[in-house]
Amino acid sequence: MYIRKHSVNRPPTPDEDVTESPERDELTLGEIINIKLVESGEKENLMELVRDRLVESGWKDEMRIACREHVKKKGRKDVTVDELIRAITPKGRASVPDAVKEELLDRIQNFIRSAAI
Amino acid sequence: MSNAEDNKPSHDQLSSQVFLDLVDSVIADVASECHRVARLGLDRDLEVVEEELRLSVEARAKVADPSNNLETNTKYVVDIFGQSHPPVATEVFNCMNCGRQIVAGRFAPHLERCMGKGRKARAKATRSTTASQNRNSRRNTSDNNQLASGPPGFEENVRRA
Repeated sequence: MYIRKHSVNRPPTPDEDVTESPERDELTLGEIINIKLVESGEKENLMELVRDRLVESGWKDEMRIACREHVKKKGRKDVTVDELIRAITPKGRASVPDAVKEELLDRIQNFIRSAAI
Repeated sequence: MSNAEDNKPSHDQLSSQVFLDLVDSVIADVASECHRVARLGLDRDLEVVEEELRLSVEARAKVADPSNNLETNTKYVVDIFGQSHPPVATEVFNCMNCGRQIVAGRFAPHLERCMGKGRKARAKATRSTTASQNRNSRRNTSDNNQLASGPPGFEENVRRA
């Protein structure tokens, strides 16, 4: 006879065939890849790589200038983060240097292939 | 994220999606950083530009206004930035000697009294009580750092010379 601590309260383990499969079907391939990226630590490596490359190439500085322009227009007290993101995302996505994009896509594709999905 | 055409997105599409995801994260970082700088007013250049704009508008208005006596405004000189300098400096700060709050324009006379450097200002005080006190204390203690009353012996020597 033992006393079950309240902190150890947890819902009963779901049955294998009933709850497991529908959940798996709901996950898209993209989401699975993302999970695998995070779990393996590759996502973090990629993030660091992207950041470094974008800083080196001056992309980040260009983006900062674009932000300042926007802030000047809207006045620095009213501007919100969402607004800034919306303002610079199109330009940001478009102005990534090709070499950087290639390098990243290469690495990601290698990962996907090796993850054997 | 779901593709309308295929059930199985190609590797290219998948990797593109991952890539865009990464770029979006970096964009969000940059935006967040700039937002912080903007809201905290850390970007001095921005402020300077705003201030200059404001001042140039003001200056232009002043010039355009014919009722302004541009030449007879001799008491308060206006410089090119539109700042006026009152004849007596009005900034208040703390005297490093006594710690009191002093108006900048009155600082020199204050220092004379405060440090006892003026010839006439502290002459009487130093001669009578404090001088004898200091001479007594100097005999007792070797280390005499009495800034407040000044070195009376020195003053007397100076006057003699």
